Amino acid sequence: MKRSRLVQPLTISFVLLVALVAVFTLGNPSFLSQYNVTSVLNAVTILLAVGLGQVCVILTGGIDLSVGSIMSLVSVVLMMTVGRLGPGAYPVVALIGLLSGLLNGLIVSKLKIPSFIATLGTQGVLVSVAYLLSPGPLTAAENLYGVLDFVNGHVGPIQATWIISAGMLAIYYLMQRFTPLGRQIIYIGANERMSWLAGLDIDRARILAFAFSGFGAAVAGMVLSATLYSGYPTMGLPYVLNSIAVVVVGGTAMTGGAGGVVNTVVGALIMGVIQNGLTVIGVDAYGQQVFLGILVIIAVALTFDRAKVAIIK
Amino acid sequence: MDELVLELRGIGKRFPGVIALQGIDLEVRAHEILGLVGENGAGKSTLMKILIGLERPDAGQILLRGRPVTLDGPDAAIHHGIGMVFQEGCMIPNLSVLDNLFLCHEDPFSRLGFLSTARMAERARAQLAVVGLSDVDPRRQMSELSPARKQMVEVARLLWLSELYGVQNPVLILDEPTTVLQEGEVKILFSILDELKKRASIIFISHRLEEVVQHSDRVYVLKDGAHVGTLERSSPGTAVAEVPRVVQLMVGHELSAEHYRESMQGAPREEVVLRVRRLRKEKAFRDFSLELRAGEIVGLVGLLGSGKEEVCRCLTGAARPDAGTIEMAGRRVRFASPKDAIAVGVGCIPIDRRSDGLATSLDVADNVNLLVLRRLLYGPFLDPRREQENAEHWVRECLVKTPSLRTICANLSGGNQQKLVIAKWLAAQVRVLVLDHPTRGIDVGAKDEIYARIRTLAASGMSLLIMCDTLEEDIGLSDRLMVMKDGAVVREIACAPHHKPTPVEVVSYVV
Repeated sequence: MKRSRLVQPLTISFVLLVALVAVFTLGNPSFLSQYNVTSVLNAVTILLAVGLGQVCVILTGGIDLSVGSIMSLVSVVLMMTVGRLGPGAYPVVALIGLLSGLLNGLIVSKLKIPSFIATLGTQGVLVSVAYLLSPGPLTAAENLYGVLDFVNGHVGPIQATWIISAGMLAIYYLMQRFTPLGRQIIYIGANERMSWLAGLDIDRARILAFAFSGFGAAVAGMVLSATLYSGYPTMGLPYVLNSIAVVVVGGTAMTGGAGGVVNTVVGALIMGVIQNGLTVIGVDAYGQQVFLGILVIIAVALTFDRAKVAIIK
Repeated sequence: MDELVLELRGIGKRFPGVIALQGIDLEVRAHEILGLVGENGAGKSTLMKILIGLERPDAGQILLRGRPVTLDGPDAAIHHGIGMVFQEGCMIPNLSVLDNLFLCHEDPFSRLGFLSTARMAERARAQLAVVGLSDVDPRRQMSELSPARKQMVEVARLLWLSELYGVQNPVLILDEPTTVLQEGEVKILFSILDELKKRASIIFISHRLEEVVQHSDRVYVLKDGAHVGTLERSSPGTAVAEVPRVVQLMVGHELSAEHYRESMQGAPREEVVLRVRRLRKEKAFRDFSLELRAGEIVGLVGLLGSGKEEVCRCLTGAARPDAGTIEMAGRRVRFASPKDAIAVGVGCIPIDRRSDGLATSLDVADNVNLLVLRRLLYGPFLDPRREQENAEHWVRECLVKTPSLRTICANLSGGNQQKLVIAKWLAAQVRVLVLDHPTRGIDVGAKDEIYARIRTLAASGMSLLIMCDTLEEDIGLSDRLMVMKDGAVVREIACAPHHKPTPVEVVSYVV
C-alpha cells in the first residue's frame, strides 16, 4: 500500500502533463508550434531552477518561503553590478543566493525554529534589502544587453536557457542521487528522530539543503531578470507559490522523505505548460491563479503523508 | 454486585507486522476494582486505547451494559462513560483547575454563548469534594498541584463527564497511578478509590503487584497480547492472590533452556570493551558502574522508572549523564549525541523500531546503507554497485526476508523489520550494541532467529547490553543480570548456562 503511494505520484504527474499538452493543443493547435514550445521551455528554466532548490528543503520536511525574495534581491543586484562587473556579476549574485540559503539553514537548525517561520522572516528581510538598494525598477542600459543575452542567446538550435536547465538538472540530480548529502536529506524527511539516533549530522544536511535552495533561487532570479533586462524588489514574489507548486505537482510530499529531482522536472514542465497553455487558450492572469491554487491543494492532498502528522494545523 | 458494565468479546488488534492483542475476553462488573497486570508489551496499553476509542479493534465486540457499541473516538468513549487517567497526566498545566475540570464540555454553564464562571466555580468545588479535594481552590493553576492531586482532578473530571452524559456507574481507567505518588498519598488514593467504587467501576493498571493484589477485587493477567488468567478474591478483606502466583502467570512457564539458544552461550572474553564508572543522571539513576567484556551479554533488569532506560540512553549518546565516566577500549569518551557514540562503536537497537529504528517509508537498501554511506563512495559520489553489494550482503547475512532490496520497509513483517535494524548496525561494525527490547511484538519464529543472532554476535566478540520484554528472556539470554531499582543497581546475578536463576528469584530484587 505504502509502496504504491510512493510510486504513483510521479505516474499521475506524468499522465497529467501529457493530458495537459493534448488539451491545450486541441484548444489551439499553435500550442505545439516551435515558437511556443521554445517559450514554454524558457519559462520552465526559471520554474525548474527555483523548484529544484525548493525540493531540497521540502524533502527534509521543511519549506523555504524566501525563494521569491532571493530572486528579487538577485534581480536588483544583477542590474546594479552588471555594468561594472560584466559577466562577473553572475557569480556574485549566485553567491548571494547561496549565502541567503546558508543563513536560512543556520537559523532553522541552530535556533531550532520551524522553517516556515524562519524563512517567512528572512523573506521580509531580503525584500527590504532589495528595496533599500533600489526602491523602483532597474533596467539594464542597452549597451549591457550583450552580457545579459548570455541567457537569451542560443547555440545553433539550442537555447541558452536549455543549457542552463540541463546544467541545473545535472547538479541537483547528482547531489540527490549520488551523494551522501542527497540521501541524508531524504533520511531526515523520512524520519528525523531515527536519523539523529543513527548519528547523522542533521544540522549540516539541513543547512546545505537550504543553501541548495538559495542557489536554485539565485539562478532563477538571474534568468528571469536577464530575460527581462530589468530587476525590481517584487520581481520574485509569484515564485514562492510557483516553486511550491512545481514541487508538489511533481508528486513530492510536503511531509518530506518522498519524491525528488525527477518529480520536480515533471512538475516544472506541468507548471510551464499550464501557464503558457492557459494564456494560449485565452484565460487571463487572474483566472490562472485560481487554477494554480486549486492544483496545489489537490496535489498536496494526494501526497501528504498523514501518518506523520497527528494533528493537521 | 455481579452486574456487568463492560464486556469485551474476542477483541483482536494487529499493527503492521505485530499482533498486539488476540482473542481478549474481559468483563468489568459494577462497583469493582479490576487490577490489570502484564509485562511491558503484553498489550495493556493497546487494550486500554481500544476502550477509550484511540484505537479500533480489528476483531471482536464491545458491549456496554449488554448493548454492542462502537468506540470510534475519545468522544464516543466519554459519552458512554469510559475515561482514563493517564500515567503522565493529560491536563493543561497553565490553565486553572476549573478550566481543566470542564475543558471542552462547558456547555451546561453557557448562557447565550457566555460562560458563567461563578457557576462553574461552584460546581467545581462540589466536584472536587467528591474526590477528597475540598481544600483546593478551583481557580488555582493546575501546575501548582501535586501529582496526586492532579490525578484526583482528572478523576473528578471523568465523574463529572459521566454525570453530564447521564451514565450510571462509569468505568474509570487508572494507568500506573501510584508511580508518581509518595507513600502517604498512595494510601489516600486507595481510600478514595474504595469510596468511588460505590458509584463507578475502576480498572487499575500497575506494575506494583503488591498494591494490585491488596486493593483489587479481581486481577486480570495479560501475556503476549492474550488473556492468561483472572484471579478472584476468595473472601472479603483478603488479598486476591499471592504475588508470586501473579508473577507466574505474567512470565509463563515455558522456561525451557533451549528456548533462548542457551547451548550456544559461551564464556565472555577477558578484554573489557566498555567500562562505566559511577555514572549519574539526576532524577534517573546514580552510581552506575559496569565492565562489559568482549562477547558478554549483560541484561539490565528493572521496572519502568528504575533508571535502566536512562542508563542506556546515556551509554548510546541519546542523553548526557551528569557525572561519571565512560571508557571505550581503555579510552575516555564523551557522547554529546548518538553520532559520537557510533563513532567509537556503540550502537543501539531501539525499542520502537518504526519510529526510531527505521525510515519505514524508504526501501530496504536505503535503510541498510544509512550508517555506512561514506564507505560506499567512489570519489565524491555514491557507487550504486557498492550500495547494492552492501545491502545484499547484510540482508542475506541477517536472514531478512524481503521480496527485493527496493521493497518499502513498511511492507515487511515486524520480525523482518527488526532483522533489518540489526543488519543496519552490523553493517556499521559496532563493538557494543544496546538492544532495547529486541523481540518486542514479533512472532515466535523470528524471535528464535534473533536469539540465535544475539548468540553469534556475542561469540564473534561483540558486547551486548540487553533489556527484554520478559524477565525469562533477560535471564535466558544474559551471561549476567544487573537488577536496578529506584535508580541504583541493587544486585548482580550470574546467569551461566544451565545455572540460571528462576524469574521468581529475580523478581524479588526487582520489586
